[in-house]
Amino acid sequence: MSALITLDNVTVAAADNVLVQPLSLSVNRGEPLTILGETGSGKSLLAQAIMGTLPASLTMQGTVSIQQQPLDIAARRQLWGKQISMLPQEPWQALDPVMPCEQQVSEVFRYVGNAAAASAQLAARAQLDQVGLSQVSRQLPQQLSGGMAQRVAFAAATAAGAPIIIADEPTKGLDTSQRDGIVQLLKSQTQHGGLLTITHDVDVARQLGGRIMVMRHGQLLESGSAEQVLSQPQAEYTRALINAQPQFWPAATPATAQQPLLDVTDLAQHRGEQLLFQGLSFSLSAGEILGVYGDSGCGKSTLGDTLLGLLPPASGHIKWQQPLHRSQMLKLYQDPPASFSTAVTIGTLLKDLLKRHKLAASAIAPLLRQLNLDAALLNRTAKDVSGGELQRLALLRTMLLSPKFLVADEPSSRLDPITAQQLTQLLVRLAREQQCALVLISHDKIQLQKVCDQIIDLKDYQLREVQA
Amino acid sequence: MSRLFHALTLGQRCGALLLLSLLAAAWLVPLFGYNQPNVQHLSAAFAPISAAQPLGADQFGRDMLARLAAAVRLSFGLSLLCVGSAAVFGILLGVVAAWSQPWCDKLLNFIANTVMALPGLVLVLLISGIAPGSFIMLYLGIALTLWVEYFRVVRATVQPLVHSPEIECSRLLGFGRWYLFKRHIWPAIASNVLTLAAFGAATSILMMASTGFVYAGLKPPTAELGLMIVELFPYFAEATWVLIQPLCVLVLMVLGFNLLAGQKA
Repeated sequence: MSALITLDNVTVAAADNVLVQPLSLSVNRGEPLTILGETGSGKSLLAQAIMGTLPASLTMQGTVSIQQQPLDIAARRQLWGKQISMLPQEPWQALDPVMPCEQQVSEVFRYVGNAAAASAQLAARAQLDQVGLSQVSRQLPQQLSGGMAQRVAFAAATAAGAPIIIADEPTKGLDTSQRDGIVQLLKSQTQHGGLLTITHDVDVARQLGGRIMVMRHGQLLESGSAEQVLSQPQAEYTRALINAQPQFWPAATPATAQQPLLDVTDLAQHRGEQLLFQGLSFSLSAGEILGVYGDSGCGKSTLGDTLLGLLPPASGHIKWQQPLHRSQMLKLYQDPPASFSTAVTIGTLLKDLLKRHKLAASAIAPLLRQLNLDAALLNRTAKDVSGGELQRLALLRTMLLSPKFLVADEPSSRLDPITAQQLTQLLVRLAREQQCALVLISHDKIQLQKVCDQIIDLKDYQLREVQA
Repeated sequence: MSRLFHALTLGQRCGALLLLSLLAAAWLVPLFGYNQPNVQHLSAAFAPISAAQPLGADQFGRDMLARLAAAVRLSFGLSLLCVGSAAVFGILLGVVAAWSQPWCDKLLNFIANTVMALPGLVLVLLISGIAPGSFIMLYLGIALTLWVEYFRVVRATVQPLVHSPEIECSRLLGFGRWYLFKRHIWPAIASNVLTLAAFGAATSILMMASTGFVYAGLKPPTAELGLMIVELFPYFAEATWVLIQPLCVLVLMVLGFNLLAGQKA
């Protein structure tokens, strides 16, 4: 086994603090290496250090060797595409939004691989065919799903024949099925090259196999073979990370006192011309948790908006058994920063809310304690607060109004596993203690099975189309 | 105030400084006794620089310093009035268009496109031609050509924002439209609107001078930059120095506003 990438005592530091503690590792041919850790643990910095793309404000020490050759940044830059290449976090941001996929891949053959225009196009077609995307080669990245866009990015990243791939959170925000597709693609890469994957998803690490390194706060906690680390974790943090996976969650206590709140009969909804679901009937009681499951784009969020009265139903009835005030029907958003105004501090936004509903300012402090939030966060704007904290602040904001009906639209899909588990448990507690009916939307079925009283799989209500 | 100053670039600070010094000069000059822009001394036509007339006199022997100060006050006043009303009107219609039913949006957009199709100066000349010499008509003409820019920029910025989670969330939380404007829409459009306002002020000063230059704006003996330039034009050979003065002031004012607008365009 030959080492493709070797790091020797690499540190990354900002002006006054060390972000990545001295770290040595090697990526071998045929053996994927996965770095596992939460957001902000310095994983991505490590990838940037290897590529030589660290921001100018950060300094790197130690040696990086590619194919056992110690190389400086300029020399590593020469190898981009041909020897080493990086799969980006958000494919939509890495791909050109106004250029068809095939052309984007063919440009790599043409300008990195120095092929003629005609042969580059043929090669691009073959490359896309290999990742199973020959159907969509003429489409723009926006017309593709996240998983497909990531496969286009993969095709482009590997087009120049780089044997070493660095994948930085390649499955962020993807559905389970799309995620598994990307992981398979990455695994195929390891047969003839090296793979370094950075992720916070334990499932991805398990599927990739090979070796695992667990990082937290820029420090290596433990490393070893995937099997060994995942079955017998040594570090406490690794155990917490593994236990935060939905399949290890304790099942929530079922709802008790049942006071009917909502009856839905024969509901159908469109998006444009497309029928999303039909014949949907269910009833919901106060304090009950309803899970809505489905792949992205299947109408989960649309169902939530319809129940909230933001969209009129295409047909069917939504009947409320108890009269609810408008501001007792609330929503928790998937992307916490998108649901806050960033112009003023969070404290000001909360004050606005207290004033609007004539609530006492003393209501905030106990909720901060209950949600385990620091009061100093209120002096910051939403831009300067981490995703997990911001989502809890969003929850605090809704709890101030003591809602009776809450739609949580994938509230934890952008959070780290441990934070996601905490948030979901907080939501369950809110539902049970305040007798608030909760609609939990997710693409993670196991998570829903652990916490929900009833689950709707939207696939059961879709019009079945005959495949042409 | 000091925080605002720190947020500006070097160019913007220069522009602000230039405008402030022009403004200060225009208001301070009358206090020092140079307060008779329209009094003629025909025997003292093109009198050279003296203590009584620090910038000399024009073809009717009027004090140039007093006339320039009056012209600057007039131009500033009019440009602020025009920009202020055009901005309020444009923002209001832009937000309404983005927020309302498609038919209302189409109607407003149609009106804006119609105004856009006319060259700005032609519209100003047309309207001020209805009642020549009227300050109100000049103001209306300039304001009517300026509002379209605000309308288009605000509409384009607000349209995607109207359906954004942050506004939907605030609505669910029970906030009204004024709150949504204050917390979500204004922060998104403020920097663009302020840039447009600085450019708009420069445009309105130039428009006013242009109408004066073709005798379609204010009437003599009003001290107005365009009017002063065209009146002094025949004496180009004898009194170049006097003609240059209103030209320089005009250039400085427009430069000041353009610098203040910054690099975003």
